[in-house]
Amino acid sequence: MWTSDQRNRLYLENEILHREGFTQFSVYWYKDTDTYEASGNTWSSSGKLYTLAIPIPSGFPQARPPMYITYPAPLYAANGTPISALGVSHDMHTLAPSSGQVQICHWRDNRWHSGILLHKVFLKGLIWIEAYEQHLATGRPLAEFVSTMKEYA
Amino acid sequence: MTTDPQQQQMIREAMKAIAERRPGRSKLVYDKTKRTIVAVTDGAQTPRALNITADDADMFAVATLSAQWLTDRWATLRRERVVPVRFSSWDDGDALTQFELGPLPAYSLVEGVVLLGEETPSPAGTTLRIVLHLGKGPVSEDSTFVAPDGSIHHAKTQVRNNGKDESLDTQFVDLQPELALRRSALLETNVLKHKTAVLFGLGTGGGHAAVELAKCGVGRFDLVDPDRLTVGNVVRHPGGLSQVGRLKIRVMRDMIQDKNPDAQVTIHPIEVTAENIETIRPLIARGDVVICGTDNRPSKLLINRLCVKQNKVALYGGAFRRAYGGQVLRVRPKASPCYECFVAAMPEESTDEEISSQGAADAIAYSDRPVAVEPGLSLDVLPIANMLTKLALMELVADTSSTLKVLKADYGAPWYLWLNRPEPGTRYADWPPMSESIDEMTINRWYGIDFARDADCPVCGDFIESIAASYGLDPKNFGDLPAPPTKE
Repeated sequence: MWTSDQRNRLYLENEILHREGFTQFSVYWYKDTDTYEASGNTWSSSGKLYTLAIPIPSGFPQARPPMYITYPAPLYAANGTPISALGVSHDMHTLAPSSGQVQICHWRDNRWHSGILLHKVFLKGLIWIEAYEQHLATGRPLAEFVSTMKEYA
Repeated sequence: MTTDPQQQQMIREAMKAIAERRPGRSKLVYDKTKRTIVAVTDGAQTPRALNITADDADMFAVATLSAQWLTDRWATLRRERVVPVRFSSWDDGDALTQFELGPLPAYSLVEGVVLLGEETPSPAGTTLRIVLHLGKGPVSEDSTFVAPDGSIHHAKTQVRNNGKDESLDTQFVDLQPELALRRSALLETNVLKHKTAVLFGLGTGGGHAAVELAKCGVGRFDLVDPDRLTVGNVVRHPGGLSQVGRLKIRVMRDMIQDKNPDAQVTIHPIEVTAENIETIRPLIARGDVVICGTDNRPSKLLINRLCVKQNKVALYGGAFRRAYGGQVLRVRPKASPCYECFVAAMPEESTDEEISSQGAADAIAYSDRPVAVEPGLSLDVLPIANMLTKLALMELVADTSSTLKVLKADYGAPWYLWLNRPEPGTRYADWPPMSESIDEMTINRWYGIDFARDADCPVCGDFIESIAASYGLDPKNFGDLPAPPTKE
């Protein structure tokens, strides 16, 4: 059961996403199940389509929300291996997949706190996508590109 | 006191013979050539001088029995003239301790009886018999029992060993008065008896804090931890090898009650997660102080939110990596910074946590880059556990006239820092040696550090109002979020 604080926070998150220019993402309410998800389609610099999804955990915002790439599915590494098959990977900056969907590591549990807004999480997702495409182009570990871009995040 | 087992046995036999005024197999004689007392057994003489001291008088085994237990059964004893009693047998029968005295029994148990009068026969198979002889004072002797009707009884205890009866010393103990004796002038024991400490995480820090609070006389505990005691835990945790595999909360429950037999301990083998919030919330509600000794941030964030919401004082203790130091944060909701304020104000300190278990290691590791469990000495964690306990105690006696009240100003800061060593690679690496510094910060000293609440804190501040205002939004106008778009 969501508290009024949580519902207000999620409403605010949706507003901030749009006002910060992340209009491709929204926070949605699934009335039937009374669950929330932030998601949307986005395009990389090279024009490729990706879908990012953040199912909101019941402990949000104290609990870190996971972020998945739900499209393309499956998502392949440069060597043709589905990234979800790599599981928790430092080289690819991924955490445990869910239903075959790749989970991007944005903040670790021991760094997460309630002051982090969803638009920052999506920003990290966009950075991951750009790093992923560099990985595809070069075959080098995605982590190399993420760490380069992290300073600008 | 001699430590030679042969000599001990001979002295014991000789002294027993003297005490019982009967000739024994062993006796003590003065050896003129050696100019000392020696023990002699059937012509055999101990090889060395005995150097008998007052401690040798304590070589008799002793049976310990609760006076309150016997008082509670006095009516039965008067009627039946016999009541059964079970003892833990320690050290090959050197100490026989009533089983009910504490929750931790010995490996070997002895069945016994308390008999009213010598003429009462012992039931068959009885190993130990305590016979109460009606008598007169003095009542100051340990072996004297004063019955509820005021009659005075002297106890004589015998244990059957290898077909022979051997005499034991008997001592009746009054648990609560004796336990309270060393703290009664300092602590409001009767107040603490009705106070509840809720502990999340019963690892080294939480475990030690629980036992220390029990020693102080805290009477109610809620213990929350799903983990079992492992061999690796034993070098730091209060629990020992004989308890490996047990749930830590059960180990700690027994240890608490071994120190404070009247303590009410409730155990909850659950994770501190949002899924268990309906169990956790009422525990916090009934607590007088909350101690969070969990080893991961999500649990601390959750406890913080619930405690702030319910206006409960919470303490967060933890060791830094490899236990080079540690910290304790005390949160008085709305009056001091909360854990989220702490995370925002001191991101590095709040992230510097010891990796003390495989679970904690896995939580921060990628599986292709495993993180090892880090070593950390128990003696480096104990200062943090002690501070955790002291601060908890201060909260529990805050509304009483305890002697500890004089410490109020000393413990005014919300955050306490302790360093065991100037760890290379940390901001403390260049701290001056303790032996050379008086007015600079050094190791092995507690520092109470003040910092301000975050007015825009997501938990104790006006986060939503503040952020909303910065975007020109009014929370009063917040409504429902949109339904997801229909998939084509």
